[in-house]
Amino acid sequence: MLKMNNVRKSFRTDTIETHALRDFSLEVKEGEFVSVTGPSGSGKTTFLNIAGLLEPPTGGEYLLDGDDVSNLNDRQRSHLRNEKIGFIFQGFNLIPDLTLFDNIDVPLRYRGFSAKERRKRIEKVLEQVGLSARAKHLPAQLSGGQQQRIAIARALAGEPRFLLADEPTGNLDSLMARQVMELLEFINEWGTTIVMVTHDPELARRAHRNIQIVDGQVCDLRAVPEQPAAVSV
Amino acid sequence: MLELKPMLSALWRNKASALLIALQLALTLAIISNIVVIVQDRIEKIERPTGITVEDIIALNFMAIPQNYDMTGAIAADLELLRALPYVKDATVTNQVPLSQSGSAGTFYTQPNQEIGGENSNYYNTDPHFIDTLGLNLVAGRNFTDAEIQFSDPNESPEIAVALVTQQFAEKLYPGQDPIGKPLFDGSGSNPIEIIGVVERHLGAWVGWSNAGNVAFFPSIKNTQDTNYLIRTEPGKRDQVLKALVQKLSERDPQRVIKTKVLSEYVARSYARDNLMVKVLSIVAAMLSFIVALGIVGLTIFWINQRAKQIGVRRALGATRTNISRYFLLENSLIAGTGIAIGSAAALIVNQSMVRDYSQPELTLMPLAICALLVLLVSLAAALTPAIRAANISPATATRSV
Repeated sequence: MLKMNNVRKSFRTDTIETHALRDFSLEVKEGEFVSVTGPSGSGKTTFLNIAGLLEPPTGGEYLLDGDDVSNLNDRQRSHLRNEKIGFIFQGFNLIPDLTLFDNIDVPLRYRGFSAKERRKRIEKVLEQVGLSARAKHLPAQLSGGQQQRIAIARALAGEPRFLLADEPTGNLDSLMARQVMELLEFINEWGTTIVMVTHDPELARRAHRNIQIVDGQVCDLRAVPEQPAAVSV
Repeated sequence: MLELKPMLSALWRNKASALLIALQLALTLAIISNIVVIVQDRIEKIERPTGITVEDIIALNFMAIPQNYDMTGAIAADLELLRALPYVKDATVTNQVPLSQSGSAGTFYTQPNQEIGGENSNYYNTDPHFIDTLGLNLVAGRNFTDAEIQFSDPNESPEIAVALVTQQFAEKLYPGQDPIGKPLFDGSGSNPIEIIGVVERHLGAWVGWSNAGNVAFFPSIKNTQDTNYLIRTEPGKRDQVLKALVQKLSERDPQRVIKTKVLSEYVARSYARDNLMVKVLSIVAAMLSFIVALGIVGLTIFWINQRAKQIGVRRALGATRTNISRYFLLENSLIAGTGIAIGSAAALIVNQSMVRDYSQPELTLMPLAICALLVLLVSLAAALTPAIRAANISPATATRSV
């Protein structure tokens, strides 16, 4: 599904060059639920950005569904993001001026679906996240947990094969966090591959596998149920 | 894929800023369209045909120094001398210089002793050479003959028997009729003046006068202390003739003060205010457009900065750069469209008031449509750079926490 070989990402200013990812290699298989942990500044978000085609790597190889996507142009990356990848952000990132219905509609419009098809998909995902009755509401009228469920609905509406979640419970209380996590597990059971960046070791343990990133490199890969995630040097 | 409905609802939720820009555009359209119609009217006025070969004509005024000067004899001798000069096509005598903002006018009637219903007109006392000298086009009837010229002293009222009139004046006097042979009465009374010829066009003394095209010509020369000659030269020879003619006239008779000016200079001075108005209004319109464009650039940049995260999210969700720039241009077009709708109505209302209270020209749909298009283009051009800037916002902005 996702394979990175010696991926590098560096940021350069006039005076300094920062290596966010160094010889980063990782494989995520179809249907997996992988958690990514690591200290602040370790490169988790950079990994997420490259995995989600939000920015290109500086070097190395990135294969998505067997296709090398390391050197795609901006338009190609946009189309691929829209078709194959769903995003769930820590701050929900709903567009405040749009209703929940219109928020979910945003990626579907870029996909070029007909109005009828879009409506069908939006109604379906709203039902899945249990917020059908709130379709005409604005994001500000919802609780944090409900907003995140709408963000998940927006990510699911395009039926992506690959879901990237960036601290999806970071802004939620424990009850809401548990509900969102259960929803993600449910989605994974349907067959969607999920990669989730989190600071929460409890949530990380609920994934099939945990990846620890330190200083821009993968430090340890281990099956989570058997052993808790830990830094391996 | 167009996003009109969500875009409209998003704009509605941020209506204050959008409405301000729309009102700014509306005000601009209302002002610019009325400026355009005034400028257009002034340009038409400046460029309207005078009927006169302005560029080849020299106007000469002289004042005799001695009292009891033989003006009649001097005119005959001067004109003979002038017509004999190299490159001079013809010369004539006249009481007034056309298009000079100085002239004579009166009210003329079609019935004797008529007191109401007259037509105001410029008039010139001149000789049969006036038509050729000014390059007028005689479209009906005939010119004066030398025998028809009335010479008189300043205090005398000569019995003028014949007149030439412009086509416009003839049509006002005798609408739809052949004016040749018909009478014309001046304000004083019952002496008929027969219209013997019609010239196609001639603008009188005052270019801003609504009756500037009403002109009558009488074969009359008054024995005053001063008079005017008009001299037509061959094309391109005006300045050469101008240098020679004062010297020749002074040599013939030194007892007079001679002043010359080319007719084009009179015309330029006559239209100076119109030209100034065209320039000032054009600058005002250009500056107003520029200020509005700056406002749009500023507001669009502000919106983009305010929505940088949102743009990043849209990009992360699959929007291409084209999608983003198109979104902002479309949003701008919606605001501009609202402004144009309000501005068009305002322009017409303002214009009605200007037509009614200041006799300004009427604003028609064509210039309004052109101005609306111009405002839309200025608005789009102003939004283009910020829109491209928005399109360059990285999709990775979506994952940034600040």
